[in-house]
Amino acid sequence: MKRHESMASGSSGLSVAVLVSTGRHSLTGRPGRADQDARAVELALNVENSHIRLFHAGEPGEECREALRGYLGMGIDSISLIEQSADADVSAALEEILRESKPGLVLTGTQAEQGEGSGLLPYMLAESLGWSLIAGLVSIESIEGNQATILQALPRGQRRRLKVRLPAIATVDESAARARQSAFGPAQRGRIDTISHDSSTDEALAGLSIKAARVRPKRLKIVKSKSARDRFKAAAAKSEGGAGQVLSEVSAQEGAEAIFKLLQDENVLSI
Amino acid sequence: MLNILIPLLLAVSLVLGAVGAFRRIAMWRRGRPSPVNIMKGLASIPRRYLVDLHHVVERDKYIAHTHVATAGGFVASMVLAIIVHGFDLASGILGWLLLAFTAIMFVGSVLVYRRRINPPARLSKGAFQRLPKSLIAFSLGMFLTTLPAVGLMPENAGSWVFALVLVVLVAWGLSELVFGMTWGGPMKHAFAGALHLGFHRRQERFGGGRSTGLKPLDLDDRTAPLGVIKPEEFTWNQRLGFDACVQCGRCEAVCPAFAAGQPLNPKKLIQDMVAGMTTGTDAKYAGSHYPGQSGEHQIGSGGVLVARKGEALVDPDTLWSCTTCRACVEECPMMIEHVDAVVDMRRHLTLEYGDTPGKGADVLDNLIATDNPGGFSPTSRMNWAADLELPLIKDRERTEVLLWLGDGVFDMRNQRTLRALIKVLRAARVDFAVLGNDERDSGDLARRLGDEATFQSLAKRNIATLAKHQFDCIVTCDPHSFHVLKNEYGDFGGHYTVYHHSGYLDRLIGADRLSFAPAMPGTVTYHDPCYLGRYNGEYEAPRAVLKALGLNVNEMVRSGYRSRCCGGGGGAPVVDVPGKQRIPDMRMDDIRETGAEIVAVGCPQCTAMLEGVVEPRPQIKDIAELVADALTDRPDPRHKADQQEPLEVIA
Amino acid sequence: MSLPRKNPRLEWIARNRLHPDHAQVMAEQGASASPSQWMGPAGLVRRDPHRIGSIGPNGIKRIDRSGLLSSQAAASPGRQAKSEPQKPLVTIDEPAFIIAVVPDMAGGELTSHDRDVLGMARQLADADPARQGAVLAVVFGSHRETRFEHAGVDRLLHLGDERLEGYSPERRLGQLEALEREYSPERWVFPDSQLGGAELGRRLSVRLRERPATQVWQLLSRDNEWACECRGARERSDIVRTLPRCILALEECAEPVSETRHEVRAVELEGSVPEAMIRIDNLGQVAVDPASVALGEAEFILSGGNGIKNWDRFHHAAVQLRAAEGASRVAVDNGFMPRERQVGATGTWVSARVYIAVGISGAIQHLQGIERCNKVVAINRDMGCDMVKRADLAVIGDAEEILEALVALIDQKRTEEARHEAA
Repeated sequence: MKRHESMASGSSGLSVAVLVSTGRHSLTGRPGRADQDARAVELALNVENSHIRLFHAGEPGEECREALRGYLGMGIDSISLIEQSADADVSAALEEILRESKPGLVLTGTQAEQGEGSGLLPYMLAESLGWSLIAGLVSIESIEGNQATILQALPRGQRRRLKVRLPAIATVDESAARARQSAFGPAQRGRIDTISHDSSTDEALAGLSIKAARVRPKRLKIVKSKSARDRFKAAAAKSEGGAGQVLSEVSAQEGAEAIFKLLQDENVLSI
Repeated sequence: MLNILIPLLLAVSLVLGAVGAFRRIAMWRRGRPSPVNIMKGLASIPRRYLVDLHHVVERDKYIAHTHVATAGGFVASMVLAIIVHGFDLASGILGWLLLAFTAIMFVGSVLVYRRRINPPARLSKGAFQRLPKSLIAFSLGMFLTTLPAVGLMPENAGSWVFALVLVVLVAWGLSELVFGMTWGGPMKHAFAGALHLGFHRRQERFGGGRSTGLKPLDLDDRTAPLGVIKPEEFTWNQRLGFDACVQCGRCEAVCPAFAAGQPLNPKKLIQDMVAGMTTGTDAKYAGSHYPGQSGEHQIGSGGVLVARKGEALVDPDTLWSCTTCRACVEECPMMIEHVDAVVDMRRHLTLEYGDTPGKGADVLDNLIATDNPGGFSPTSRMNWAADLELPLIKDRERTEVLLWLGDGVFDMRNQRTLRALIKVLRAARVDFAVLGNDERDSGDLARRLGDEATFQSLAKRNIATLAKHQFDCIVTCDPHSFHVLKNEYGDFGGHYTVYHHSGYLDRLIGADRLSFAPAMPGTVTYHDPCYLGRYNGEYEAPRAVLKALGLNVNEMVRSGYRSRCCGGGGGAPVVDVPGKQRIPDMRMDDIRETGAEIVAVGCPQCTAMLEGVVEPRPQIKDIAELVADALTDRPDPRHKADQQEPLEVIA
Repeated sequence: MSLPRKNPRLEWIARNRLHPDHAQVMAEQGASASPSQWMGPAGLVRRDPHRIGSIGPNGIKRIDRSGLLSSQAAASPGRQAKSEPQKPLVTIDEPAFIIAVVPDMAGGELTSHDRDVLGMARQLADADPARQGAVLAVVFGSHRETRFEHAGVDRLLHLGDERLEGYSPERRLGQLEALEREYSPERWVFPDSQLGGAELGRRLSVRLRERPATQVWQLLSRDNEWACECRGARERSDIVRTLPRCILALEECAEPVSETRHEVRAVELEGSVPEAMIRIDNLGQVAVDPASVALGEAEFILSGGNGIKNWDRFHHAAVQLRAAEGASRVAVDNGFMPRERQVGATGTWVSARVYIAVGISGAIQHLQGIERCNKVVAINRDMGCDMVKRADLAVIGDAEEILEALVALIDQKRTEEARHEAA
């Protein structure tokens, strides 16, 4: 609460809305902050002179409240909980709320930790509201007027700088700065304000069969060779995991070449 | 003239002393309530002073004798002075007694003075350098003043100059020793210290008892502060305790963090608490600072002791440097509870600010989401023991021993210890079972990191799990779990008979259920884990087990209750505050001094910390491993799997 | 010392050249000698004339008993490349439908992810011989890919407009909409990747008001209808659903095309594409210090331990390799590296694709922390240390010299590559 003095001085600063979901721990499935959404809140907290509001649309159960407390513990005063049925398509409700509250910037995670997790919601909102969409936001460098300069995540820790017209909806990448610790005290004191809202049922959801993820089978190495001997050799080749190759009494040059070859085979060298 | 002036001085100083006492008491009472029995507390002071306190003071013979002479001399001569001079009853034996006691006190004062000529670094200077002179002034002045009263000197002997000098001496002495005692002078330790003995927050510590478990926070009471950030948020008897500090620096001398150059000095910490209650600045402090810090510090804006940003009296790193080893508490002659204060302030930082440094935040998140600090799947707890066919308690109606495995199940090094322990238990045909995947972290780490909420959540769920099963006792090879299960679950309704594995093995050996091959030659030393030794007073059992193995223990200089921490407690490795050197390296030097080839340990944390020291160094072996190595019994053929030596995990 | 033991069965196989395992047994026995020559059961050296010699310039096999030519022959692989079999060319003149694929084309070439996605498109196009579809690939901006024909591309829409170069999702979306109007593809397939496919695929799906299948990892065929299995809830669930029009597929969703060549017929958009509204300006890629990439996420880690004496050189090597820096506990304790760079059970657990341990002997906690690494390379002086035992490739020698040689090698390849690009 002390962190948001800007709220009072409000009107001139940027209004930031963060759409947060209830997270599920990847191993235990326990409810909590969703990692990417928490990073989105962290990004919002670091925007200077901003007015932050958090929205969650979903079924208001005890698990949901427990998860939302995780965001409150980051020093957020209140979260608006838009009541929706369990099988609702929340995009309509969120669209309406955003249209009313007119934030300059909307932040949310790239993918939800439960449900379909298609990551489509921000795209749908941006499309229907006619706002800019930023995919894979990592950090906000500056905001001047209705232009924001931001960094976008690329694979292997690379970044791209973009200038975006506001209002914009941004999906926050998991390589964004990690969220601050959620503290027990503020989490208990923060408010969860419920807003009732009609739910529109997501019809397509019934057509999906959802079950716990299986381990994806490892791709088999298909060896195509005209020679039966090569095919046999490939099939009978020792499986990996045995003792590794040890190069002793080689020159530094030969050793380096062996390593270089492995790096190339593994495709980690960006040349 | 003296006949009038001395009683007057006595009266004035007593009145001023009484006024100061009331003000001081009112100041302490500004803290949070903590119920005490006043009459019983007051009545217990003399005994606690003479027995419990003296027991600690006695560890330093020189100062013990000095203190007896000075303090005893002073108390007796003060009482007698009031009678002799105040009520003018100099006749007979009383005057002579007064003379004798002032003389004793004088001798004591001179000894104190000598100590202060070139004092060790741990002693504070400042006003304390003045104290021996004040003591000499009082004893000398009172002695000389009493001479005429017993007739050794004629009344009105000497000139008025001599009388004036006497009056000044007595006045000086009285101001330091009587009203200085209640107005914040160095002698306040006597006043606050005496009351602290009576109203101590841990009454169980006196009379040979032990009280080491942290006090729970009431999390359901939304108005109660979470931990401490302002001096008023300590309980009043904690504040009283801080004020009792005599700045002898024994805590500083034993603190592992201080020695390692981390920014913690227990003495300075307590003085900062006093500064927070009184002047709000450490300008008058004249002892060693926190390593790496200097200059003056003021209380933070809003009256906070610890600042999130900017400066206050205490830096967060100071609090996070503490390994909660309790060496300071063990050494403190005033029975001050440093660790309680550290954890109280950590609680505020974690629960209110979410400012657990280093990997603390990760560890706490993991504990919340997966019930173990490493973030491993709780269903993989027993993966390490897939070949051991450990009996699960949920398949059993009752069992003799519930083996509490601890989070060491996820650590390959500790798995070796656990395997050894299981081999021994099976050799002794102990009827044991484990909780398996139903076990959770005991909550020790969360609690020391100040996350009382997560601790209580883990504790309550563990207690609920344990309530479902029937067992005679719990055995664990982790002293941290041992301490928490034994001493801290009681506040939440969990009361168990708990053994550290060394204690339980000692019993097995005593019951002749294990037999050993002759010991291999080699020298061994034993490292006392803080949570086994100082926290639970178990110094004998591990040594008895080693003796039963035929091993001779070369004791380290710092062993038993003076054992030095390995640096692994209190979440210190998790927050990892940098210092000049590392605590385990210092401990390894202690070990090397004994020339031992093997250091026996009884704690997974100690094992990890000591094995982190760069080789060459003595080998580190858990007591369970040493016992398992020495076994000659043939285990039950059904458990063929454990006959094999623990597999080297990396092929 | 063990007694030499005979395995009569293996010896029999070794004598019988027609035995199906003959080659394998020979290869195993050949650990000491070349497979063309082995020690017979009677202790005599046996040679296999079919295995020695080389094809001479006039196509006749020559056996060179002087041993002069054989080493040269082995060293010239050019002959083998020439003999790569010609794959059959598939042409589809009148496709019944179009499967549109938008590959990422990172660096102007098909990525392996792109090839997998094209393989999936191929499956969709070829499923019903009565209704043969064609795969149309859309490529924006300039490219240097020469092997579209081997990746299964029937039609290629190359939109070379320079404004489509680089990151330009809004303009690209406009082009795809135009493609939708002209060709109305039966399905749209994108790689669900951070390189652009994930974003563009979602943008198009929303624009077309199609609910896409995201993170598809395999196609399923049920009752003559396509279905797919997708990852949901951040890898925690699998969702099976009928296959929609828009598909965003993960890596290894299908085998890449390998048996056939395809026509790569160029197509163009007829109508004009309306100017898209541009709200995003691309200011270009930012240089990122690889050492700052979080350890837990890094794909490639160069980790240093007690064996490193010159840390400046180590840092330099990390920059050159573009690897994240890690360290052993000792290196951290000694103050050479910050604590957050510590790898191991007591530090960070890493899951890199390649982990290079330089001068790290391999304490148990450290080995535990790198359990999930795919390939471990050890550079160490001590051949007996645990890290060397764990490593997939261990090079014994002076760590700094080897690192320096490696850096030099990479430098050299980079300059060669740069010259290629310039050419």
